[in-house]
Amino acid sequence: MFCYNCGCHLSEHDYCTACGADVSLYKKILYASNMYYNEGLEKAGVRDLTGAVTSLRQSLKLNKNNIEARNLLGLVYFEMGEVVAALSEWVISKNLQPEKNIADDFLSRLQSNSSRLDSINQTIKKYNQALAYCNQDSKDLAVIQLKKVLSLNPRFIRAHQLLALLYMDGEEWERAERELHKCMDIDRNNVQTLRYLKEVEAMLVPDENVRQPAKRKKEEAIRYQSDNEVIIQPLNMKETKRGGASTLVNIGLGLVIGLAVTYFLLVPAAESNAKAEAQKSITEISNASDAKTVRIQELEMENGGLSEEIERLNQELEGIVGADGTLQTIDSLLEAASKYLETQDLEATAADLEAIAQSVNLEDTSEGFQKLYHMLLQSIGPELSKNYYQEGYNAYRTGDFATAIEYLSKAVYYDETDVNALFQLARAYHRNNDAENAVATYDKVIELFPGTESARSAQGYRDELSGE
Amino acid sequence: MINFEEELKKFHPSLEVEEAEDAIYNQDLTDMADLLVKMIKESEEKSNEVT
Repeated sequence: MFCYNCGCHLSEHDYCTACGADVSLYKKILYASNMYYNEGLEKAGVRDLTGAVTSLRQSLKLNKNNIEARNLLGLVYFEMGEVVAALSEWVISKNLQPEKNIADDFLSRLQSNSSRLDSINQTIKKYNQALAYCNQDSKDLAVIQLKKVLSLNPRFIRAHQLLALLYMDGEEWERAERELHKCMDIDRNNVQTLRYLKEVEAMLVPDENVRQPAKRKKEEAIRYQSDNEVIIQPLNMKETKRGGASTLVNIGLGLVIGLAVTYFLLVPAAESNAKAEAQKSITEISNASDAKTVRIQELEMENGGLSEEIERLNQELEGIVGADGTLQTIDSLLEAASKYLETQDLEATAADLEAIAQSVNLEDTSEGFQKLYHMLLQSIGPELSKNYYQEGYNAYRTGDFATAIEYLSKAVYYDETDVNALFQLARAYHRNNDAENAVATYDKVIELFPGTESARSAQGYRDELSGE
Repeated sequence: MINFEEELKKFHPSLEVEEAEDAIYNQDLTDMADLLVKMIKESEEKSNEVT
């Protein structure tokens, strides 16, 4: 303790032994300063940092040269996270007492670690930014910033308190309580912390059950901006700790799901592929079968056509070779000709020729057949015609006109040049009251034999019939 | 009941490291001892003037 007037060392007396100045009051002030320093030291020892700051500041108000008090104040500030305040106290302390000052050691430790100092500065800037966010009502961003601040400087009491206040404003009482307890771990007698804690405990204890839903209702994610990107960070996302049994259960469940996926997805797919292949083969076989079926139908139709052709040819052959065939007719004609040459039997030859004429259409026969037939007919015709004419005339005479017509018709057939037979046939029709055939036959007489007596007579009879 | 707005007013921006120097220079270091010495000196000067 030195005299404020001359700077000499003071004794136990109330005056300076060197200059004689009254130092009694001065000594009391210094004693009071030391007392506050001791009080601050005790409070710092029990982590009543706020109380320590109050006492130490009081001590320094009494005696700014109390280096121990100033250094301790700096240390308490540093412990509370107020690094700049601590630095300020230590710098002043260093200026007041450049030699043998522990503040020199504190400053050296900070200044030697530039990254630490930079980190401290970043922490302060982030805290100020968080405070600005609060004033801008961007509370989510403020919470994010404060969390960053506290990750860098976990003993920053003001940051804890501000974060707790934000949680309280968001009715996240448990979180606020956690932050406030962290404050209490650093500074046990901070009035602001205690006030907040009282409020939080009041909100938590009585209405805990009621307020839980409201808390959960609050935001489950927080957003903050980092450079140009808005980052959304989910809250309350913690991975649950699970035991080994649950892990095994999960693995087993995964295996079961995998097998189920294999069974329900892969196996049906393989079956579907196999079915598709089988269906493809069936389609190919079906197509081949259809082609063969079509070929068979074509062959059957061809076969049917050929059968019909064979049948037709057989019928033709039968027509030629059979009982009524052309060959048979030719044979009959040849036989009739041969019989006529041998026997000269007109009646029999006429019967044979009539049978041949009935069995075949002469126009469809060959030229040689027709020529032979007509030669044979000419050979027997006139003689046979005379016979038939005679029989017919006799029947006419007896009044049997029907028989007369029959025989006279045959006489005309075998000899068309016989005008008498034709005229007499006309007369038989006339007398038999068959006017139509009578007129036709008279007309033939008039046409074929004009200028004859028969023609004139026929004309007279015809006129007679027409007159009737 | 805590009023958030009112409580927020109690929080002030923290001094950054760059601002520490100005804060130190501007800090009023006058203590009770200085006031006492000043008062004693003023009192002595007055008594000298009277005599």
